[in-house]
Amino acid sequence: MDPVLQEIYRTVLDGAPFVLGAYFLLWLGLFGYAFMITKRLKGVEKELAVIEESVSRRGAPNS
Amino acid sequence: MSVGEKRFLGLGLYTWIYITLGLAAVLTTAALTMTFFFTPVVLADTVVDELRVIGGVPIQNQLLFSQKIFYFHVPVAMSSFLVFIFTALNGVRFLIKKEKIYDTKARIATEVTLLFVLLTMATGILWTRYEWGTWWVWEPRLTTYFILTLMVIGYFVLRNSIDDEERRATYAAAFGIIAFINAPISFAITRLVPSSAHPVVFRAGGGLISSQLIAFFLGMAGMLLFAWSVYQIRLREQDITDRVEVAKAALEE
Repeated sequence: MDPVLQEIYRTVLDGAPFVLGAYFLLWLGLFGYAFMITKRLKGVEKELAVIEESVSRRGAPNS
Repeated sequence: MSVGEKRFLGLGLYTWIYITLGLAAVLTTAALTMTFFFTPVVLADTVVDELRVIGGVPIQNQLLFSQKIFYFHVPVAMSSFLVFIFTALNGVRFLIKKEKIYDTKARIATEVTLLFVLLTMATGILWTRYEWGTWWVWEPRLTTYFILTLMVIGYFVLRNSIDDEERRATYAAAFGIIAFINAPISFAITRLVPSSAHPVVFRAGGGLISSQLIAFFLGMAGMLLFAWSVYQIRLREQDITDRVEVAKAALEE
């Protein structure tokens, strides 16, 4: 292999798995968490809407 | 007024959350782009942006690729310290006023802190492995940050071990305040113990050049906006969960 390329690849690519791994973990962690809590928020909002509708339906004949 | 009904500049909190979350994504992407396309590479503690000769051929820059982790690792770590302030602040407010909302805010702030702490550890370990050839070193910054990590995890262990709501909130508030004391220590340890393997990045005479600073501050702003957004989303979720509980109780009566 070309010694110049070998030297360049050795200095550059040796660190690449660690850098890419770090960025991958970071983005996965941040946006995975954001996605998870947004989904959970939508879930409880739906639940609240259903329950509030039930409460208002139950209260309707008396009003 | 519930959390989601607050308005600022005519926009609801929900709109603001998604605006800041989007902005956080834009800023972190801009930081990432700057990191890989504009910031010069670094050799040890020195910026290298000059012609070098490798194998008899002049090469621009001796690349230390692993240093690129810095531009996200440090903002995430700084954000963990800053978000942790809210655990302590809300802990103090809870101990003074004994209102549940402050306990909830402290718990959510600690949850966001835990996310940032874990990401700091993960990215830091990868950097350490490449730079120092080992996964872990018991040097002052790593040791104090490890203690901080254990305390943040301990906060949730403590909460889960106490059933009584009032007692749980009081103990958690006190523990959160004590745990926070470690944050400024961990932050300042590189200045207090100069032998630390972690360099002091922001120092008199400058440690970073402008393109590095721009990438760093874009990442920092992105992380803080992200932290604010997820904090607000969790707060809103907790608010709705409480309303669901109240509505369920009303249905059962």
